[in-house]
Amino acid sequence: MPKLSILLCLLGLTACNHEQATNRSLTFWCSNNAGEIAFAKNFTDQWQKQRPDKPLHYQPIPEGQSSEEIILASVVGKTTPDIYANMWQGSVEMYAKANVLIPLDTLTGFREFIMARCDSAVIREITSSDGHIYQVPWKVNPIMLVSNTLAMNDLNNAQPPYTYTKYLNAGRQFTQDKNGDGYVDQWLGYTEVKAIWYERLFNFYPLYLAASNGAPLIVNNRGRPSRAAFNNQYAVEVFRFLQTLYKDGYFAKERLSATRDPFLAKRIASQFTGPWTVGFLEKFKDPGFEYGTYAMPVPDNHRGPAYTYGDPKNIVIFNTCRDPQAAWEFVKTLVDKPGDLQLMELTGQFPRRKNVDTDPYFASFLTKNPRLLPFAKQARYIKGVDNSEVIVEVFDIISQEYEACVIFNKKTPEAAIADAAKAVDVLLMSERVKE
Amino acid sequence: MKKWTPYLLVSPYILHFAVFVAFPVVFSVVLTFHSWNIISPMQYIGLANYEHLFKDRLFWQAVWNTVRFLLVHIPLQIFVALILAELLNRTVRGASFFRAAFFLPVIVSGVVVTILWQQLLSYNSGILNRLLTAMSVPRVAWLDDPAVAMYSIAVMATWKNVGLYVILFLVGLQSVPMQYYEAADLEGATNWQKFRFITLPMINPTIFTVVVLSTISGFSLFVEPYIMTQGGPMNTTLSAVMYIYRQAFQFYHMGYSATLGFCFALIILFVVVIQRRYVEQEV
Repeated sequence: MPKLSILLCLLGLTACNHEQATNRSLTFWCSNNAGEIAFAKNFTDQWQKQRPDKPLHYQPIPEGQSSEEIILASVVGKTTPDIYANMWQGSVEMYAKANVLIPLDTLTGFREFIMARCDSAVIREITSSDGHIYQVPWKVNPIMLVSNTLAMNDLNNAQPPYTYTKYLNAGRQFTQDKNGDGYVDQWLGYTEVKAIWYERLFNFYPLYLAASNGAPLIVNNRGRPSRAAFNNQYAVEVFRFLQTLYKDGYFAKERLSATRDPFLAKRIASQFTGPWTVGFLEKFKDPGFEYGTYAMPVPDNHRGPAYTYGDPKNIVIFNTCRDPQAAWEFVKTLVDKPGDLQLMELTGQFPRRKNVDTDPYFASFLTKNPRLLPFAKQARYIKGVDNSEVIVEVFDIISQEYEACVIFNKKTPEAAIADAAKAVDVLLMSERVKE
Repeated sequence: MKKWTPYLLVSPYILHFAVFVAFPVVFSVVLTFHSWNIISPMQYIGLANYEHLFKDRLFWQAVWNTVRFLLVHIPLQIFVALILAELLNRTVRGASFFRAAFFLPVIVSGVVVTILWQQLLSYNSGILNRLLTAMSVPRVAWLDDPAVAMYSIAVMATWKNVGLYVILFLVGLQSVPMQYYEAADLEGATNWQKFRFITLPMINPTIFTVVVLSTISGFSLFVEPYIMTQGGPMNTTLSAVMYIYRQAFQFYHMGYSATLGFCFALIILFVVVIQRRYVEQEV
């Protein structure tokens, strides 16, 4: 009899646990900047009112060295949230292959919604190698050229739109030793020289996309090994262009991070940056400081729009989620038109949806924020990164060659690009062997 | 006392050893035969990691960088520490102040020291380059020139650690019996002769200890290049430990990283054995 009582108690407890688990509230991790926290709070409150039967709470991603590190730790510890917004697109394939993400295209209504929101190129870009979609394309920050218009407009034959020749002309005229100590102290521009892989997302990669009309770095051939796709004239030209900027001293090699923002201090006349800069510049610029935003420089014979890197951050649902359909219903509220408008208003970032710049729904925001309009227009011509689980290593390999060629002038652009492509082919081959 | 009491008493240590030493070592060795990115299941790949290691140009460059660092760091450390200890061993005014001053960097956080030196060595605004400019000497890219960066780090690491070795040498110097020096004085020996034929042989064990300690700490070079140069320029300051870390926590190649760590541990073991055989006798 006592044994039977214990068994019944245990069964009772298990039933309670099961009930608790199914009624457990969904967890939504957002980024931990003020704008996105406000965004998350608004939408969570709204959801709670509309769907009290599906409790959901938001939480800024826990503090750590990087959000990627936190997400990885939570995957390993099986403590992932149900929904995570702000996933770097390049990380998704690795998680998809590890089977920790929900294939969203299996959820009711997902495909129809995404096809209405995004164009086919975006959908191709986010489709995993297994044919499923594991991420909701959410927001982008196109990388563009921001320049000090008062300084640049006075230069001969160096007005926008910038071709390589025009930009180098500007460098020749603008770069100066102002105090006569034998060292340059006013440069055309500055971009991070460190060989850390992600720095290439803000110099080499957008220039490569601009030159090549958005060409990939890797070609995924179904049934055959993936290969490096960047051993071409565009990548070589980009390396040569950047190499010239450094060799001729138009770009500063030294680190300018320890000083006041060099763009605002007029020590550099231009920078490759995203829309987040606008808020900063508006807040800290001196009276009379004027700047303009333009497409990335392109080769002189370039035809067509100048693509750029869009720095896409997407939304995923982890497979620890007990109610993926409800999670998707919530995510849908973040990425529909009202959600996207609030994203723009609260964070100054752009949704990855069709026609943001021409859709009347967003017109009032862009009228109120004319400085962001060039970025909105550029959002038509952006790319993320190739869907490869070794994309970080691919960028690391390119970064090593970038340093040798562009910064230290130890290799020709042709040799550096060829060596990088060879190394990427070896890497992709070894990944295939492991499969 | 019960029969099992001794076992109970040593069990915390045994448990600690098993969990934090024995298990990680065995697991690392097992890992070297696997491919594992933490989140996917481990996959047996035989000796592929070892094959890769021998072809991995960057790993061998990282090992060479570490050796290059040691070749500068150890002699410099011994030389500076010995001179400072010799000076402190004499009766100088404020000796205790200097002892504390030399030891201070040892107890300051490595990260703080590294950031401080990063500012000192900055090409544009660093004090060192400002002094050079004031003397009309061309500025040096201390951390951005591939030919110079590792030596800058070696000098910085010497400054950080020398205090510890000064103390060790001081103990060694004070243990040399005074009678030897008095006898040498009677024979008319010069200061150099006394140092060469009495001091050096007598502090031989201390020198050996310093060489071994600084070799082991030098092989684990990580914080300085990680913060100051991130392994650049052109990988010239990429240390072996940093490369192992990068493989594990940047690319999530846990199996390969374990293989590198295992191989590097063997290299350290080999170097220490050589030092033990030769350096100890030669000094």
